[in-house]
Amino acid sequence: MRYLIIGAVAAGTKAASKIRREDGTSEITVLTSDSDISYAGCGLPYYIGDVIKERGELVVRKPEDFKMEQDINVLTGWEALRIDPVAKKVLAKELKTGEEREFIYDRLILATGASPFVPPIEGVNLDNVFTLRRVTDADRIKRQANSGIKNAVIVGGGFIGLEVGENLAKRGVGVTVIEMMDTILPGFDKEIALTVQNYLKEKGIDILTGEAVQAFKGDGRVNEVITSKRTLPCDIAILSIGVRPNTRLAVEAGIELGPTKAIAVNEQMETNIKDIYAVGDCAENVNLITGQRVWYPMGSTANKTGRIAGINLADGEWSFNGVLGTTIVKLFDMTAAKTGLSEADARKNGFDVVTVLVPSEDRAHYIPGYRMITTKLIVDRKNRRVLGGQIVGEGVVDKPIDILATAITFGAKADDLVNLDLAYAPPVSTAMASTIVAGEVAVNKLDGKLKGISPVELHENLDKYYVVDVRIEPEFIISSIPGSVNVPFGMLRKKADELPRDKEIVLVCKIGKRAYMAYRILSQMGFENIRILDGGISSYPFETV
Amino acid sequence: MEERYINAKGLQCPGPIMKLFQEIKTMATGEKVKIEASDFGFSKDVEAWCKKTGNKLLSLEQSDNVITAIVEKA
Repeated sequence: MRYLIIGAVAAGTKAASKIRREDGTSEITVLTSDSDISYAGCGLPYYIGDVIKERGELVVRKPEDFKMEQDINVLTGWEALRIDPVAKKVLAKELKTGEEREFIYDRLILATGASPFVPPIEGVNLDNVFTLRRVTDADRIKRQANSGIKNAVIVGGGFIGLEVGENLAKRGVGVTVIEMMDTILPGFDKEIALTVQNYLKEKGIDILTGEAVQAFKGDGRVNEVITSKRTLPCDIAILSIGVRPNTRLAVEAGIELGPTKAIAVNEQMETNIKDIYAVGDCAENVNLITGQRVWYPMGSTANKTGRIAGINLADGEWSFNGVLGTTIVKLFDMTAAKTGLSEADARKNGFDVVTVLVPSEDRAHYIPGYRMITTKLIVDRKNRRVLGGQIVGEGVVDKPIDILATAITFGAKADDLVNLDLAYAPPVSTAMASTIVAGEVAVNKLDGKLKGISPVELHENLDKYYVVDVRIEPEFIISSIPGSVNVPFGMLRKKADELPRDKEIVLVCKIGKRAYMAYRILSQMGFENIRILDGGISSYPFETV
Repeated sequence: MEERYINAKGLQCPGPIMKLFQEIKTMATGEKVKIEASDFGFSKDVEAWCKKTGNKLLSLEQSDNVITAIVEKA
């Protein structure tokens, strides 16, 4: 049996290794046009930031290692030109010599990955306008960072762009992020994205949203970026607008693409052509919640699909039923993560949702070093199933997002979160873990015990509501929602008569606890038109006074 | 005049700022108070509160996850 794999980053090398573990004797060949293999693409920003000093720490394995340890032939600098699925052969060219050669296969895996999207903007080909995908890209950017550049412009506020921005900022470079949409972090709901945005601004990164890059200017080398609103000095620009699946080879061979324009595969990762599989960033996924075809090019999924194709190709059996789109990003000390559907996704898909926004400590509050994290849950009102979650904060976020990802995978309802038996000791967690508390608030909302209002909704309709801040006066003085009235919780019963009955009241405190108690008191006093601000003022990412 | 001291460690919102507020009320102009808190949000709170109330924030430090502020009453 001859296995041929095109692509040698995460999915390709994973597939090759898995095939070898399943099948000790077959011939396995991997072709890549790249000079580096098996590297951690997601680690590149940290290499630029000098967190990873030497490239050898990032690119650990070489073709010789694959040959020696696993008897896998990895050919670097070989570009696959054409697949002939009938004769079962791939024509490839060695880039250095121009030599062309045919590689015969019995089974073929496409792990052709994705490429950064380069918009057709004036000056995009100037020196020092980069994309970041390969290690060689990172080498070039790192060389610039080492040379003492002053101003970097990041085009696109996605993960890679922000991570590069953070790493350059930590090296003393002035960083401006330009994002065409209203907020950075595509895929995250607005209030979460804005929280990160505000934090990055505090850390000295300029973030310009709702702004488009129109041209790069410079004499050979970029020195200015012109946007729809201004001109910025620029020694280096990083284009991180997104990636597109590399599908040319597949399309020319008659392999079908799916609705996302990535390669369509079944649960075994096989394409429409027998004996040809597709894995990693070039292949489509299925969203576990909606059942729709989606394209989430993630390193975690690439490794998994590579392995699964490896098993199936070597005559094993494994099915991959889909992904939630779980992602996480850490910028300075803040982490933002999401899993499942966002509120916006859920509404777009026709779900009637209840959302909660719940700040909570990540560890016991009497252990110095604890930090707040905010959990957003998106729950289906009809069947109480958790559709998605987003968590943001300077505390531990990866653990609760993985709890949520696991719970959602197994179809948990909000009620199930409340009963979870989670590990607790003061230095590492809280007696009532953040996931549990968020579940409780969701259950209360589903049961009609309280009505909330999201920060986005309040901000957009501020003049419609009578906003009552129930915190104590010194807290109110520090920052409060414009136009809000301070009635400290302790005075609420006495002052309730002064509150209007003809206008909807929104109760505000720091995290939502006191506002909930105030809500219960006012409800019992006969107030019907009341809501509490989800997540309190600590999760309100808009202007305060 | 001796500097006053508030241990607000372990307290969460609104604990630390409330303690500071109450202590300052009993102090004379020019008197100083040192407050330690483990609520990480206290750092921003005390800064903003001093700015708005005119009390003087003499120092604000963070070490070993404890925030220490020295405030002089205006």
